Amino acid sequence: MSGKTIVITSGKGGVGKTTSTANIGTALAMQEQRVCLIDADIGLRNLDVVMGLENRIVYDIVDVVEGNCRLEQALIRDKRYENLFLLPAAQTRDKSAVNPAQMRNVIDRLKEEMDYVIVDSPAGIEQGFKNAIAGADRAIIVTTPEVSAVRDADRIIGLLEAEGLHKPEVVVNRIRIEMVKKGDMMDIKDMIEILAIELLGVVPDDEGIVVSTNRGEPVALNENSQAGQAFRNIARRIMGEELPLMSLEKATFFSKLKKIVGLS
Amino acid sequence: MVSAFSFQVTTKGVIMNFRPGLDFEEVKTSLEQHVQDARDFFTGVDIYLNLAGRDLTINEMSDLMEVVRKYENVNQIYFTAKENKKKRHDKNQDTILIRRTLRSGQRIKYHTNIVVIGDVNPGAEVIAGGDIIVLGKLRGVVHAGAGGREEAQVVALSLQPTQLRIASIISRPPDEGQGDNLAPERAYIKKSQIVVDKLRN
Repeated sequence: MSGKTIVITSGKGGVGKTTSTANIGTALAMQEQRVCLIDADIGLRNLDVVMGLENRIVYDIVDVVEGNCRLEQALIRDKRYENLFLLPAAQTRDKSAVNPAQMRNVIDRLKEEMDYVIVDSPAGIEQGFKNAIAGADRAIIVTTPEVSAVRDADRIIGLLEAEGLHKPEVVVNRIRIEMVKKGDMMDIKDMIEILAIELLGVVPDDEGIVVSTNRGEPVALNENSQAGQAFRNIARRIMGEELPLMSLEKATFFSKLKKIVGLS
Repeated sequence: MVSAFSFQVTTKGVIMNFRPGLDFEEVKTSLEQHVQDARDFFTGVDIYLNLAGRDLTINEMSDLMEVVRKYENVNQIYFTAKENKKKRHDKNQDTILIRRTLRSGQRIKYHTNIVVIGDVNPGAEVIAGGDIIVLGKLRGVVHAGAGGREEAQVVALSLQPTQLRIASIISRPPDEGQGDNLAPERAYIKKSQIVVDKLRN
């Protein structure tokens, strides 16, 4: 088996890379794919916390690279899905502890066993970013409807192309339809026009994400959450399904919104 | 080449310690070599051949005596079996004092005991050869007895570690329901399991 490696990146910090990684990974695992998440944010690891797996860490990616343990020893199995794994970052080291060649080597070994290897990139465009995109077959760029985030996303697309990663896809996170409608928030159409790349999904702003992140339970597990549904749809699109982009989601969103407005 | 023995100078004289793990022939050969090279090395002093941790037959003993007899001008030759107390003492009794809160990403690692006056936050790591005592909230990862000492223990004013390891045993709190326990607690190994007790005065 040879899986695909997908890097999730953004340039800007705080747009939801780690949340997206955790949720896309979980949603893919729900589709019975074998998935391994890699936290490439060495020194500022978070993915383990968001996945609720922090207390299981014994070895990390730096231990693997330095030969302190075997790769299988460092992999943490998810508590909900046995086909979902996490390779955690080291917290007491920094980005220079790993280089792109070592990263590629680890990913190549994981790809043998997995359908998808998903790499959570750190913010920025320095060594951590370069490590994260080494060995990636596909890239997903997470952005929010803010000018600064879109600007950074655009810069990242350019850097990815320079590294031979063409046709990245974008996930627009934290959209608030009511604000877009009022013209207070960037429209998805405008964003896609600037970035000129494929739209993989739109995730609505959802207070539930904060709760689920703090609890270590990805929102994709929540059947009733709209954000969770958005991530589950993204996972299906990644697997090649032709899900109508947002049109359906938007319709339900708008109709719900109209209901609320109508009631008040 | 690593020498087969080392010298330790004391007020009484010179102690020859043999490196552990060597077989008798290696010890004998290296000693013969030393006698040959430095016959008058011990002029005027007492020497103590430290046989601690080494079982010798009568023949081996007399072989050794043959060899050391060739040292010239030695005051007196003793055979002894002293454990190298100084080193062991260091390992188990020394303590490092950390007078600050350890934050995420900070890592303290010593072969001694470690006392932290402050908290150990999630994401911080404390690794000690001996005991770990935290005068504060312990929320990070701790590893006591990291060299394999199963008697090692972890004590904290509030014991809520992300993960707690003693010697080669790893434990983590249950995923659900971790209340705020403010009572001082002690974790140690009992029958190959880590147990946590309230600390009694």
